[in-house]
Amino acid sequence: MKKLFHNNWKFLFLLPLLTYLALFTLFPVIKSILMSFEGGNNYAWLFSHFQFREALSNTILITIFALLFEFLLALAIALFISGGGRRRIIQALILIPLGIPTIVVASNMRYLFDTNGFINVVLTRLCVVNIPIDWLGGGVLTLFSVVISDMWKVTPLMMLILLAGIERIPKDLFEVSEIDGASFWQKLRFIILPLLKPFITMALIIRGIDTFRIFELPLALAGESFPVLSSFAFFEYRNYNNPHTAAAASTVLFIIVLLAIFLYLKLVGLPNEETA
Amino acid sequence: MKRLLRYLFIVLVLTWTFLPIYLMLKVSFSPAEEIMSQNPPLLIHSITLDHWKNVFQSGNLWQPLTKSLAVAFFVMILALLIAAPAAYALSRISYKLGIGIILLIFFSRMLPDVQMALPVSVSFIRLGLLDTNLGLILSHLIRVLPIVTWILLSVFKTIPIDLEEQAEIDGASRFQIIRKIALPLAAPGIIVSAIFAFLFSWDEFIYAMYMCLGKKTLPLMVYYYVNRAGWFDAATFSTIIAIPVLIITLLLQRYLKADYLSGAIKG
Repeated sequence: MKKLFHNNWKFLFLLPLLTYLALFTLFPVIKSILMSFEGGNNYAWLFSHFQFREALSNTILITIFALLFEFLLALAIALFISGGGRRRIIQALILIPLGIPTIVVASNMRYLFDTNGFINVVLTRLCVVNIPIDWLGGGVLTLFSVVISDMWKVTPLMMLILLAGIERIPKDLFEVSEIDGASFWQKLRFIILPLLKPFITMALIIRGIDTFRIFELPLALAGESFPVLSSFAFFEYRNYNNPHTAAAASTVLFIIVLLAIFLYLKLVGLPNEETA
Repeated sequence: MKRLLRYLFIVLVLTWTFLPIYLMLKVSFSPAEEIMSQNPPLLIHSITLDHWKNVFQSGNLWQPLTKSLAVAFFVMILALLIAAPAAYALSRISYKLGIGIILLIFFSRMLPDVQMALPVSVSFIRLGLLDTNLGLILSHLIRVLPIVTWILLSVFKTIPIDLEEQAEIDGASRFQIIRKIALPLAAPGIIVSAIFAFLFSWDEFIYAMYMCLGKKTLPLMVYYYVNRAGWFDAATFSTIIAIPVLIITLLLQRYLKADYLSGAIKG
C-alpha cells in the first residue's frame, strides 16, 4: 500500500476530481446530446419554431453588440488607468460590478429600464418623451437594455485582461515614441493595438463564449418576451415540460461554444497562466 | 484641457458604475409612496426601514438565507477537498501528461450551464435529490470545481519544486512534504480559493433554478420578487446578497485576475 501510494500518489490525488468531472460534466454533456435526438425530430421543430429563431438571433445580436461596446469602453478605461494617477483607488472602484451577483444586476437594471424606472423618469422630466418607453417589452429596445446591463457587469473583466496586456508593453517604446513626437492616436495605432492583439483576441473569444451563454439578465429583465438560447432551453424544460427540445436547444449552444473553443485553440493556443 | 477631459471621463464611468447600486439602496430604504409616485424624486428624500422590517418579519428570509449559507459552506469544503489534491498533483506532473486534464478543466468552465443542468436535474428527480441541499451542492460544484482547481494550480505552481526534491532526498515522505512544505506555503492561496468557492455558490443562479422547486436560495428570492414586480423586497434581498460579496471583492482586489474569473462572471 505504501509502495503503491509512493508511485501513484498523483493519480490518487487526481481521482476524485476526474470522477466528479466524468459524472457531472462529461456524462451530462453526452446525455443531453442523446436526449436531443429522442422523441421526434427536435432540430427540425426548433428551426421552424419562431421563438427559437428569435432566441438564436437575439443571442447572436447581444454577443455582437455587447462585445463591441464592452471592448471599446474597456480599452478606454484600461488606457486611462494605466496612464493616470490615483490608480489603485480608481481601479478598485471600477472593479466593483464584479462583486455584484448577476441576478442582483438584473434586478437593479429594472429600476433603470422599467416603464416607471429611472430612465423614463429622467426622459419625461427633460420632456424628451411624453409616454414612458417600454424598454423591456421585447425587440430592439430590450436588446439595447440587455446589452447595457451586460456591459455594466462585465466591462471590468474585459478591462482587466486588456490592462494586463498594456502593462506588458515595454515603457521604453512609449518614451522613444514620445521623443519622436508621436501623438496619442499614433501611439494607439502603431504601438498599443499591435502589441495588444493577442490579449484582444483572447478577451473577445472568452467574453464571446460567456455572452453566448447569457441567462440571468435577459431572463429577469424580459422573460419570454426576449428569449436567448439559454433561457429558451430553460423555458422548454420548466414551462413546457419538454426536456428533448430543451436538450436540442442547449446542444445548438454547445456546438457554437465548441466552435469558439476551436477558434481559441487555433488563435491563442493551449491555455496556461499567461494566456488564460 | 486634457486633464479636464480625463477627469470628466472618470467621473462619468464612476457615476455609471454606482448608479444601479445607488438605485438598489435607494429603493430598499425609500418609503413606498415616494418610489411609486408619478414623479419619483431622483435623490433620497426620506429614509425608512419598513422594507427591511418587512423582509425580516415576513418569514421569507430565514429559510433561503440558511439554505444559501449551508450550501455555500459545504460547496467550499468539498471544493477544497477535491480540488486541492488534484491541483497539487497537476502542478507536479509533467506537462505532456497533465495537458489533457488541464484542457478539460479549462474548457469545462465554458460549457453551457443549461446543457449540464438539464440531464443532472432529470436524474436528480429519479434519485430524489431534486429540491435538496445535497443535490444543489453537487450541481454547484460543476461550476465551482474547475475554477477553484485552476486557481489552486497556479498557487501550487509558485511553490518551488527544488524545495520538495531536497526534502525527498533528506528522506521525507510525500505526506510530510505536503504537510510541512506545500500546505504552509500555499495556505494564503488556499484561503483565497475557499472564499471564491463560497462566493460562486452564494450567488449562483442557473443551477439553483433547475434544482430548486419549493425551497429557494437567496438569488432565487430576488428573481421571485423581480417577477412579481416586488420592487422593495427585490431591492432588500439584493442588498443582503450583494453586501458580503462586495466587501470580500474589495478586500481581495489583488486576487481579481482575469484568468481566475473568466467563465465565472457572465450575464
